[in-house]
This record gives sequence, C-alpha cells and structure tokens, in this order.
Amino acid sequence: MDTTDLTTAQAGSKTIATTTKTVLREAGIGIALIALIIVFSFTPHFLSSSNVTNILTQVTINLVLSIGMTFVILIGGIDLSVGSVLSFCAVVAGTVMTLPGLDPAVAVFLATISAIVAGIGFGLLNGLISAWWAIPSFIVTLGTLNIARGAALQVTNASTIYSFPAAFNAFGSQTFYGIPLLFLIALVLVAIGWFVLTKTVFGRVLYGIGNNEEAARLAGHNVFFYKVAAFTICGVLVGIGAIIYMARLNIASPIIGIGFELNAIAAVIIGGTSLSGGRGSIVGTLLGACIIGVLANGLILLGLSDFMRQMITGFVIILAVILDKYRERLTKA
Amino acid sequence: MKFARFIAASLLAGTLAMPAASYAADKPVVGLVMKSLANEFFKNMLEGAKAHEAKRGDYTLKAVGMQSETDVETQINAIESFITQKVDAIVVAPSDSRALVPPIKRAVDAGITVVNFDVALDDKAKQEAGLKLAFVGPDNREGAKLAGDALAKKLGAGAKVVIIEGNPGADNAAQRKLGFMDSVTAGKLDLLDSRTAHWETEEANTVFSNMLTAHPDIQGVMAANDSMVLGVVKAIEAAGKTGKIEVVGFDNIPAVQPLLKEKKLLATVDQFGQQMAANAIDKALGVVAGGKPLEGWVKTDIKLVTSDDVK
Repeated sequence: MDTTDLTTAQAGSKTIATTTKTVLREAGIGIALIALIIVFSFTPHFLSSSNVTNILTQVTINLVLSIGMTFVILIGGIDLSVGSVLSFCAVVAGTVMTLPGLDPAVAVFLATISAIVAGIGFGLLNGLISAWWAIPSFIVTLGTLNIARGAALQVTNASTIYSFPAAFNAFGSQTFYGIPLLFLIALVLVAIGWFVLTKTVFGRVLYGIGNNEEAARLAGHNVFFYKVAAFTICGVLVGIGAIIYMARLNIASPIIGIGFELNAIAAVIIGGTSLSGGRGSIVGTLLGACIIGVLANGLILLGLSDFMRQMITGFVIILAVILDKYRERLTKA
Repeated sequence: MKFARFIAASLLAGTLAMPAASYAADKPVVGLVMKSLANEFFKNMLEGAKAHEAKRGDYTLKAVGMQSETDVETQINAIESFITQKVDAIVVAPSDSRALVPPIKRAVDAGITVVNFDVALDDKAKQEAGLKLAFVGPDNREGAKLAGDALAKKLGAGAKVVIIEGNPGADNAAQRKLGFMDSVTAGKLDLLDSRTAHWETEEANTVFSNMLTAHPDIQGVMAANDSMVLGVVKAIEAAGKTGKIEVVGFDNIPAVQPLLKEKKLLATVDQFGQQMAANAIDKALGVVAGGKPLEGWVKTDIKLVTSDDVK
C-alpha cells in the first residue's frame, strides 16, 4: 500500500508484491494483538463476555478519532486539536440537546447534526489555514487546540452539561450479542474509511500526496482540495466521537478529551501508519486502537500499579515503531 | 502539550506585567492565584471572590487562573509578576505544594502578605526554605473520612470497597486518599484496589469498569471527586449493578445532584468552595490592615451531603 500509481503506471505483477507486503504489515500488528490477548487470557475474567464488552466500549472513542487521524497523518499532517474539538462539539451538542421544549428525538437529532457541523468547522479551519499558507499542521492545530478548548469553556462558562433524554442515555450502554452498539457504529466508520482509502481515486490521491506532494501536484491533482478534505473528514469523525462520548457517559463538559489526540496518534502509529505520510491503513489503525485498549484493560486485571501501567504503555508505543522499521526494511527487500 | 503551556504561560506573564502601575493608590491590591478555571469548582470560587470584591468595595482584586490542573509554571509566573507589581497581598491556591514554595518565599521577603488557601504547602519544603506561613482551608482528609464513614456505615464491616484516586502528587488527592483509608481502617472495610483516574469522568468510567471485572464482588466505591463519580455510576449502570454498589464522592458539584436524588450516589462532601477564596481574602486584608499575622491551620467548613439534602 506504500506504492503510488500517480506518476507512473504500475506493472501488473507489482500488485501481487504489494498485496504480499500489505499482508505482512497487517499481520505483524495482528500478531502483536493476538500475542497480547494470549498473555492476558491467563488472568481470570479477561476473556469473559462482560470484559470483552468493556474493552470494546473503551476502545470506541479512540477508534473513531483514530480513523480521522489516519486520513490526516496519511497526507503527512497531524491534528493535535481533536481532544479539544471533541470537547467543543460535545458542549455544543449538549447545549442543543438540553434546549427546553424540544421533543427528545428532535433534540438528539439536532444535537448530532450540530456536533458534526462544529467538527467540520474546525476541520475546515485546520485544513484551510495549513494548506493556504503552507503552515505545518502541527502548529495550526496547536492553535486550534487552544481555540476549541477556550470556546468550549466560554460557551458553558466551565460548567458540566447533563440531564440528556433518557432514551439517549440508555442508547449508549446498549449491546448487540455482547458487542456495544457504539462499537458497531465505529466499525461501520472503519469500513467506510477503508473503502474510501483503498477503493476510490480520492483515497489513492491522499496516499500520493503523503508520498510526494510535488509529484501529486504535477500529476494535475488539486493538492489544496485534498488537504482540506483530509482535515474535514477528521473533523466529522471528531463530531461523531463527541456524540459517542455523550452517549457513553451522559455528560458534556469543556474539560473532557484532554490528551485524546495523543491516544489517537498512538493508535495510528502502532497500527503501522508512517508519521511522514503516504503509508498505512485503516485496518492497521483498528488493530492499533485495540492494542491500546487491550493493554489498558489487561494491565489493570493483572493488578499492576498505575505507574507501571503508564510505563508499559509507553514502551509498547516505542516497540511498535521499532518493529515498524523492521517491517519497512523487510518489505522493501 | 508542554509547548502549549509554555506559550500560554508566556502570554499570561506578558499581559500581567504590562498594567503594573495602573492601580489606584489608596485601595489595597490583592493578587489572587487560582488553580484551573476550566474546573467548575475554581470557576465558582473565582466568581465568589469577585462578588466579594464588589460587596466590600475597599480593595482591588487581580485574579489569575491556570490553563489546566497541572500548569505550575503559570502560577509561578503569576506570583512573580505580582511581586513586580508590588501588590499588598497575594492569596494563593497552590497547584503543587512544593514547587510554589520558592516564589512564595520571595513574595514574603518582598514584604507582601501571603495567604495560602485550598491546598496546603508542604511543611518540609516550607521548613527548608525558611518560610513560615499559615494555611486557610478545609481538611480534605477529614472530609474524605466523612464520606468514607457514611459508606462504611451503610455497608457494614467486611464490605469490599475500592478507591478511585485523584492526580498522583496532588496534595488534596493524597489527603482524600488518607481520609478514605482512615474509614477503611475504622469501619473494618476490605479494600480490594485503589487506582487513579486523574480526576476525569471518562478515565474513571474505564478504570472502574476494569476494576469491576477483576473484582466482581465490589460493594462500595470511594471516588476522590464528583467528576469521577459520574463515570463510576455510569459503569455500574452498564454492568447492570445499579443499587448493588454504593458510591461516595467529594465536591458536591451540580451534575451529581440528580444522582443523589435517585440514590445512585450515597453521599458527597461540600467544602463551600464558593466562599473559600473570599474568606482567604478577608484574612489577608485583616493582616494588611495591621492585624495579627495568621498562624498554623485556619480550618474552613466541610459538610457531608446526602440525598436528604437534595429536594
């Protein structure tokens, strides 16, 4: 998947090689996840159905944010604002949802729309500024991180919004054969993301931009449009993530989501997406998010102290990147 | 994040340093150094202080808050610029009970009346710096024990409980944990696990769900603040154990009022945050006006809040 067909036509035989490489890369992360699960399965309760439900619930928000983050990182960008924007989207949606006199169903619908619109707004802002003035997205999103957080605090005057419609609150804990409904929604988003990135011209161009922006430009692609689009897609997912947060915890507050961007970046990187862009996949991101979730859950079940847990999570991130370097060499050979 | 704080701190320091000479000469100036104003508790406290300034009308209030709970640099910069501005008194709620000692010592040496409230500075660090300073604030340990005792009374001896802690390293988190531990000892409770969720709702939800998996027989939870209570109660609901697990919290925030009413939260603790800064300012102005310097620990009110207190 790390090759691009933008500048030169690819020989047919090369697709087989590419597929092999992809399998190798995905398998690597998959094997790591399976190994983790095997290790933890020796602790009591880890494989119990209620614990599996818990892990999937806990993975969901990070997974949704990571899908959007994958799009941004693939074009060689980064979005540090997702945690703050999630909080902003949540307080906007929370305000709409608790407006007096609205029918609950209408309130939830309008709230969902408003969260996504708020997410799109910040996504556009990030994309337009970084693409128009060619400013590194690291800096632009560092700015919007503060803007969104400040805006969320301003809108709510730092207070927590609660008392959502009962049906909405119940929706967040519903399961389908032990699988949380919220996780199923995330899986649908994974499938859409996978389709867009692998089966559409749009997706191929995103990889191309990440590999060689100048080449993509010379090939006649509107790089500006694609960059803005990647950040906007990320914004949509942050808006959806905000609604999922509210459904799960039944509150919206301007101090939620602190550090979520780092977890999303970690999931994407553990999933084998290159920070310099052009290489990676949504399936990898799904596995990366699962690794983080399984690790956080399993280490508590093992009874490890909070501080040890934090250290081990750090080691795993570094280990994943080192492994990725070897995979890269392996697949290039 | 670190970089973001650095920028925020520099900007804040810049805006503070500029209007140094613009105060009316006759009224005493009080510099109020708050913790994170993103936290509802401190935001309410600041509003209480502002109302107090308007009501008394005989002093000028200059307040500074932080970007986040752990933003120590901003507080240090704020104190240093207050020293530069030659304010009459500084009233400070330290974000770190050791890191704030040196700048506070410099303020005291500069002849400024300093009152430490909300979180006490570390005794050993004060001693080493040669700083003598009273503390005006609630007894977090005592408050946590009130909540923990309510839980112990409800569940009885031998009940299996867990603690959800605040930020490791924060003094009020440590004090609240000690208070909960006092209850565990006094009420002969069986403490299964104790973990931090960094004061946060989502993390408390995740951490408690996992604790519940590891120990399905948990009967009671002591959470070091009410934001974490929100996450814990939701986790209990999701596990279908509502009514089987009792929860106590701390802070009495508005969002837990419905939970108290529905008896999903057994008790929480009110430390009257809104008046806390105002009280400390009164004490500081008393000293500025020539009153006796404060000594030791001036304790402020705490109260256990249960469903009986919610209409």
